[in-house]
Amino acid sequence: MKDDVIICRCEDITYGEIVEAIDSGLTTLDELKRVLRTGMGPCQGRTCSRLIARIITERVGGEVADMRFLLDRPPTMPVEIGILAGKNDED
Amino acid sequence: MRLTRHPILEFDRGREIEFEFDGRKLLGFEGESIAAALHANGVRVLRESIKKKRPRGFFCAIGRCSSCLMTVDGIPNIMTCVTPLKKGMRVETQRGKGSVPLAEPSSAGPPPSETKRGTDEVATIPLAIVGAGPAGLSAAAYAGRMGVETVVIDENDVPGGQLIKQTHMFFGSREHYAQIRGIDIGDKLIANLSDLPAKLMLGTTVLGLYPDRTLSLLTAGRHVRLRAGAVILATGASENMLAFENCDLPGVYGAGAVQTLMNVYGVVPGKRVLMVGAGNIGLIVAYQLLQAGVDVAAVIDAAPEVGGYHVHAAKIRRAGVPILISHTVLRVTGPDRVESAEICRVDDHWQPVPGSETTLSVDTVCLAVGLTPNCELAFQMGCRQTYMPELGGLVAVHGSHLETSIPGVFIAGDASGVEEASTAMIEGRLAGLAAAEWLGTEFDADELTRLRAEAAGSLETLRAGPFGAKAREGKKKMLSSMNEDKADSK
Amino acid sequence: MNHRQNGILRDEELKRLLPPAARLAAGPVVVIECVENIPCNPCVQACPKGAIIIEGDINNTPTVDYDKCNGCGLCISACPGLAIFVVDAGRTDAVGIVVLPYEYLPLPEKGEIVSALDREGNTVCDARVVRVADAKALDRTPLVSIEIPQDKVMIVRHFKRKDEQD
Repeated sequence: MKDDVIICRCEDITYGEIVEAIDSGLTTLDELKRVLRTGMGPCQGRTCSRLIARIITERVGGEVADMRFLLDRPPTMPVEIGILAGKNDED
Repeated sequence: MRLTRHPILEFDRGREIEFEFDGRKLLGFEGESIAAALHANGVRVLRESIKKKRPRGFFCAIGRCSSCLMTVDGIPNIMTCVTPLKKGMRVETQRGKGSVPLAEPSSAGPPPSETKRGTDEVATIPLAIVGAGPAGLSAAAYAGRMGVETVVIDENDVPGGQLIKQTHMFFGSREHYAQIRGIDIGDKLIANLSDLPAKLMLGTTVLGLYPDRTLSLLTAGRHVRLRAGAVILATGASENMLAFENCDLPGVYGAGAVQTLMNVYGVVPGKRVLMVGAGNIGLIVAYQLLQAGVDVAAVIDAAPEVGGYHVHAAKIRRAGVPILISHTVLRVTGPDRVESAEICRVDDHWQPVPGSETTLSVDTVCLAVGLTPNCELAFQMGCRQTYMPELGGLVAVHGSHLETSIPGVFIAGDASGVEEASTAMIEGRLAGLAAAEWLGTEFDADELTRLRAEAAGSLETLRAGPFGAKAREGKKKMLSSMNEDKADSK
Repeated sequence: MNHRQNGILRDEELKRLLPPAARLAAGPVVVIECVENIPCNPCVQACPKGAIIIEGDINNTPTVDYDKCNGCGLCISACPGLAIFVVDAGRTDAVGIVVLPYEYLPLPEKGEIVSALDREGNTVCDARVVRVADAKALDRTPLVSIEIPQDKVMIVRHFKRKDEQD
């Protein structure tokens, strides 16, 4: 695959950037997320996690089945902070 | 372009209204998504990506990605694929991350101590079902038959899940609503609930699910909490992405997004489409495109054979659409939207064969490359997970009654493993029965046993053929995984 | 190539689906192009004559009792796979008729000349539309009967209106 193919759309991270990070020793989805922000955008890794998992196995071996995926935490959707704080438009 | 007539569908559009896009006055229909209205006006580029400033457009159509974020009435990062259009809306192409305008001091609210907080009270319900698709609605009907009071929560304003986009007739036999079009099955499933203690809570997103079975909900712009005795997760599945050169270019859409645009809003995705994926979804959506008057250049699949039913393939073949197996898409090109796609053959190891490249003149590439179960709510609360390729990826471990590793939490339909809508309905029934049993509601035990046996038999039949092999194998492995877990915890 | 590779039934598969020559020559009869084990049986219930049979498991493919089938075509619009056709090769004037499901707009007019297509979408010959049925009971799967040369009834499976250019 060409280096400039976008893998993480939210954070604009390319295949080349991910491969470089993996080759530098970041071999889990979590490590890549912390360094590259892949999976930290509005989609929370829904679009790219599977693709990145595959790239990791291609570079360092192993099976996607054995991989630890990103933790799911609330909120599932981006939400205005005011709503969580109790803002009520009727007020 | 908007469809004015369709062989299967009638479009019930709202009032025609004016809105503004980057200073231009455009017309749309009240209540349709902003992205659909823009698409109908020929606008494909909705934003510029945050770092590399790449053009981005519509992509998932269900508020799951970041492709369609725009600035609406001055507020950035609005998911325009799920935000309804209103008269006079000011929609702008978003460049970068956007910034929230600071409120003028005069318009600031009362000091925090005086702000009414709407989140203190927690409502309760015996059974909460997340997802009003085929599995969720069937679960509500069967739990209801056992006398359980239920609320079915769905983020969409219309119930039915993916059924509302399915213009084709379903397979199966009478008990699985065979020969009825998907769009009509949703109505039947809702009618089934009419005399039962089941309520629909639409336009409501579950933001979180906690170990005490409290759901955190976003409904009508407010955050509310609901504590459930039991929970059934019928949250469906999300589309997989495929990476290739310029795969983020506007015009590359998920198959579900194309169905939403075309069959819900009556807006065609383009003039000429390349379909990637020859499973049932790819074949069915290709046929739906032809029915909407859109040209389909080809259906390609990297696998060495057609994944979907021959009858679906035959419908598009006789209409002149080629199906190319062992083919993949290498790249799409165009300045700010797809203008062509380059495809090529792949060898036995899925590698491109040099010299086999062909360029197709298309303005749309539709991806139908599989689905992943939506289990995130189960995982949030700590349900045990396992990776099961036969079921579509990472799934919550579950047993034959669709019970997860956490007591009182059940999972059904595509969320428990990607299959057909017919199996989703039966799984929903089983989950509804299991939830009723777990809640200990007073019910006719013989009736429960009878309904459970009937549903189990039905599932076995639906999965018996060659197309059910993957699900059969996956569910078998799942059962042994569940039993191991049970043995471990003893 | 087989149908799993290109979506087209091979000649030997088609041979199995073909009604006996004597039955074909006797007038309208059903051809069910359903060769895979899919759990599905609406065709059985649609037939008023009990001519379509699925033995045992609903994953089995249907078989036709050709003595019972009168070619009424009630099964055509009942098939979720749009895989059922009625062919009439029993006329003495070398003209044959194919009745096929057509879920596109606009529907052709009776008497209109259209291009008859084979299973791969290739134009085979001209065809004349002799009947268009779009009753409510057909539930948005209209049936179109087209007249073609009799030797083409097992080849033609679709048509294209003349004003619809590629």
